[in-house]
Amino acid sequence: MPERELTVGVGAGGLATADMVLNIGPQHPATHGVLRLRITLDGERIKAAEPIVGYMHRGAEKLFEVRDYRQILVLANRHDWLSAFSSEIGAALIVERMLGMDVPERATWVRTLLAELNRVLNHLMFLGSYPLELGAITPIFYAFREREELQAVMEEVAGGRMHYMFGRIGGLRDDLPMGWTGRVREAIDAVRRRLPDLENMLVGNEILQARTRGVGILDPKTIAAYGVSGPIARASGVDVDLRRDQPYLAYDELFAPGGPGRVVTREAGDCLARLEVLLEQVHVSLELAQACLERIESLGPGPVNVKLPKVLKVPEGADYLATENPLGFNGYYLVSRGDKTPWRLKLRSASFNNVQVLSTLLPGTLLADMVAILGSMFFVVGDVDK
Amino acid sequence: MTKFLSGLAKGMATTARTMTTHAHTQQYPHVKPELPSRSRGVIALLEENCTSCMLCARECPDWCIYIDSHKETTPPTTEGGRARQHNVLDRFAIDFSLCMYCGICIEVCPFDALFWSPEFEYSTTDIRDLLQEKETLGQWMPTVPAPEPLVPELPQTEAQQLVVDVEPEDDPAAGRTTKRGAGEVPRPGTEEQP
Repeated sequence: MPERELTVGVGAGGLATADMVLNIGPQHPATHGVLRLRITLDGERIKAAEPIVGYMHRGAEKLFEVRDYRQILVLANRHDWLSAFSSEIGAALIVERMLGMDVPERATWVRTLLAELNRVLNHLMFLGSYPLELGAITPIFYAFREREELQAVMEEVAGGRMHYMFGRIGGLRDDLPMGWTGRVREAIDAVRRRLPDLENMLVGNEILQARTRGVGILDPKTIAAYGVSGPIARASGVDVDLRRDQPYLAYDELFAPGGPGRVVTREAGDCLARLEVLLEQVHVSLELAQACLERIESLGPGPVNVKLPKVLKVPEGADYLATENPLGFNGYYLVSRGDKTPWRLKLRSASFNNVQVLSTLLPGTLLADMVAILGSMFFVVGDVDK
Repeated sequence: MTKFLSGLAKGMATTARTMTTHAHTQQYPHVKPELPSRSRGVIALLEENCTSCMLCARECPDWCIYIDSHKETTPPTTEGGRARQHNVLDRFAIDFSLCMYCGICIEVCPFDALFWSPEFEYSTTDIRDLLQEKETLGQWMPTVPAPEPLVPELPQTEAQQLVVDVEPEDDPAAGRTTKRGAGEVPRPGTEEQP
């Protein structure tokens, strides 16, 4: 049972009303991880909501400063455990850019492929867990069946199921295992074949629509004010996607006119729109992954990494690079003083900004809709607390 | 209300359709999972190969490898020969309660003493029991899968060429054929600047 405080209003005459302060979390079945929401209620309506973060703060940015660039990737993997590959690639990309290092083409395409598969894995997780929060038990089993399919190929190439540690400064750890591309193609085909099952249970379902349509509408102005990014911003019609707008990896080619890449947007800005964006992004990402596979096969064999010196020192300077992680912008601001460790590595994580907006999004809504809105913000608490 | 009934019915129809397909359940404790050879389950130690050079312990991102060693002198085998000193490994332990399973120790080991094994059944009820000494680490050696075949498309000559290209004066480790020699390309301009 969440702790309850009853604050009785005293003061200027009239009818004495009482606001109830309701703590959701830090340990609560409706929150993922340990996000705490302090909600002030007036009857059934939320008057104020304050996300209280930091219960899982691990000091990632400080830990970065005492580790060399190879070791940093291990930590970059972990703050958002559902976007591990995207995060580690972002850290590798900023170091490579400051070094002026060229990455072999094959490595870039394999990185793009794995980043897209990682995006599908991330989205499938939320497509399963969000209905669970709304009371639908079944979809998570369908989502996890597809996740398992893709995780098998990720594990085959990287050896890990969550923290891949497959990216390296200058490329990738290893080349692809024999026959792997064929198995990825089979996995992608299987997921695409079975995805309609999940889709019909979600966006096609009247019960879910009734819980989510018109609930928790986020307008583009608030999005700009809070720096909200990713699928949540795009669900409100903010047409921004770093894969297209600031291309990194092989995205400039994939998002070129005629390419398979497209940015999914919705106008409604409610919970249903956010879910729809996620669902359609799964389709787009699978198409992108397929395009990457074709390119990897047509490129043929080649190097996947570059020979690194024993001690890797980044030249003095500062640089910022953001990638479009599954949940939004994930930026690294790297300040180097020419040492083998960064002097400062600032992490701009997507979920941190996305969660802050709850303080303006929740007031005025009903308590019963709180979980629907909270779940549709698609965040990972490790990414909030860093 | 009736519109919700149709949603319910559609969901039930999907469930019914799925019921006819085969189950995805894995009967884990009874049937062992088939893990890929790259699977990062546990780190195994081949003690004979370890020279206690401490590279793995230093490169570990959370410093969870403990190595103790002492020097021993072997007397000269021939008349007038020179006595030789060598390191003897006293202790090699990995604390798996700290290990982040990144595999950096395995990559930096210059003598191929550490290996990944897909073995994963070593959980304990006490966190202190996760500190595994070299005897236990050595027991995992038989579970290490055979090295993967090289990618067939990459001709062996080309793979060797890539390693030979490295200029030895820039990097003392470069002349050695590494575990992942194939596919690595030297890149000028990234060497350590004095």
